[in-house]
Amino acid sequence: MTDTRKPVESLLTDYDIFDPSFVANPYPGYSEIRESECPIAHTERYEGSWLPTRYEDVVALAQEYEVFTSRGILVMPPPPGQAEGAYGGVAAPPITSDPPDHHWHRRLILPVFAPQAVAKYEQSTRDLCNALIDEFIDKGTADAAADYAQHIPVRVISNMLGVPLDMEETFTGWVRGVLENMTDIELRKRSRLAIIEYFLAQVEDRKKNPRENDLISELMNTEVEGKKVPIEYVLGVCNLMLVAGIDTTWSAIGSVMWHMAQHPEHRKQLRENDALWPTAIEELLRVYAPVTMARIVDRDIEFQGCPMKAGDRVLMAFPAANRDPRQFENPDEVILDREHNRHVAFGSGIHRCAGSNLARLEVRIALQTWLKRIPEFELVDPATVTWAGGQVHGPRSCMVKF
Amino acid sequence: MGSCHGHQMCAIAAPEVFGSDELGNAKVLITGDIPAELEGKARRAEANCPERAIIISE
Repeated sequence: MTDTRKPVESLLTDYDIFDPSFVANPYPGYSEIRESECPIAHTERYEGSWLPTRYEDVVALAQEYEVFTSRGILVMPPPPGQAEGAYGGVAAPPITSDPPDHHWHRRLILPVFAPQAVAKYEQSTRDLCNALIDEFIDKGTADAAADYAQHIPVRVISNMLGVPLDMEETFTGWVRGVLENMTDIELRKRSRLAIIEYFLAQVEDRKKNPRENDLISELMNTEVEGKKVPIEYVLGVCNLMLVAGIDTTWSAIGSVMWHMAQHPEHRKQLRENDALWPTAIEELLRVYAPVTMARIVDRDIEFQGCPMKAGDRVLMAFPAANRDPRQFENPDEVILDREHNRHVAFGSGIHRCAGSNLARLEVRIALQTWLKRIPEFELVDPATVTWAGGQVHGPRSCMVKF
Repeated sequence: MGSCHGHQMCAIAAPEVFGSDELGNAKVLITGDIPAELEGKARRAEANCPERAIIISE
């Protein structure tokens, strides 16, 4: 396919988050913007957006949730007509919620994702990683992204929701439709609708055949101020589980595998020193933070000299913030025992990723299990690694040999 | 100083000092002064909180 997009004139005034070279490696671009006289860039592309790149600015924006709202959280505007129809109001609470509703939207799901609550998925995640490795270990080669990373979060999430594991490929397709091919409006609409219709059928089925111990049933039976929560909330959280819980963690695991394939010294350090793991996982999350969220400006405001207008979109480039040399020494370097690491891979403020403890667990188990079974491995050919980017950055194909 | 939003980076840096409440927000596990042997870890927790919600006083 020929790339017909207009060449980028200047990153400061015309950045294109879906430019193939930016998708594959956004860090030089972030750095160029961050170190310029204009560290908050602007583009007219995709109906316009602002792109802050300094840690301090990204964190300040995240804290000002009344001005920088979550009415729109994707890096592109929603497809026209998305809000219409019977379930047009289904969002992805609490990511898409603002106070005051944000409080109960978030309060209800936080206990499900607390560290002590997600610990119970550790063994099943390890078993799942081992089963994936069983499939390819004798071949001496595997796609660390498509054969491994891609399958882990979707199965963990399906298990939590209480839906059949054979939906894996379908879920992955829907999530990619919503998050990855964002310039394909029809695909986005179709994928979102498919997610809502699927979970609507799951809810209906549970009304007829009540179940226990799955998140959909728990949500359906949850009451707020004496009343069952609305169906839009139940469907919204299911939507969130897929859209925020699959592509994101899969991308993080994939990037970590890509890194480890190129760094035998880091594999060795991790194999030899169990005590290194906690800081190592945080450091890998810092350097390979996959997610950029968006905010919508509530009212005209000047922020760091930028004339932001009501309705403007601001891209919360957490991956750029995490590599700001003002905040992190040698920011592009992976230092597994980094002592000071206030990274914002999971955001900052009231929208801190609700699933962060689960994501951490999945990344750690995925890497531990792989290193135990396949201690030595390398990229087949760095030039053939393919990437997704824009909203979520990570490898989609990453062939390794061992 | 910010407020805790449940990043849990304090509990990762100093699990003897910080834990998690039912919602996943930080819970201080010790009462009174930080024991000398845990001071380094506690300082590290302070330096790793993305919300700058931890202040250790002398």
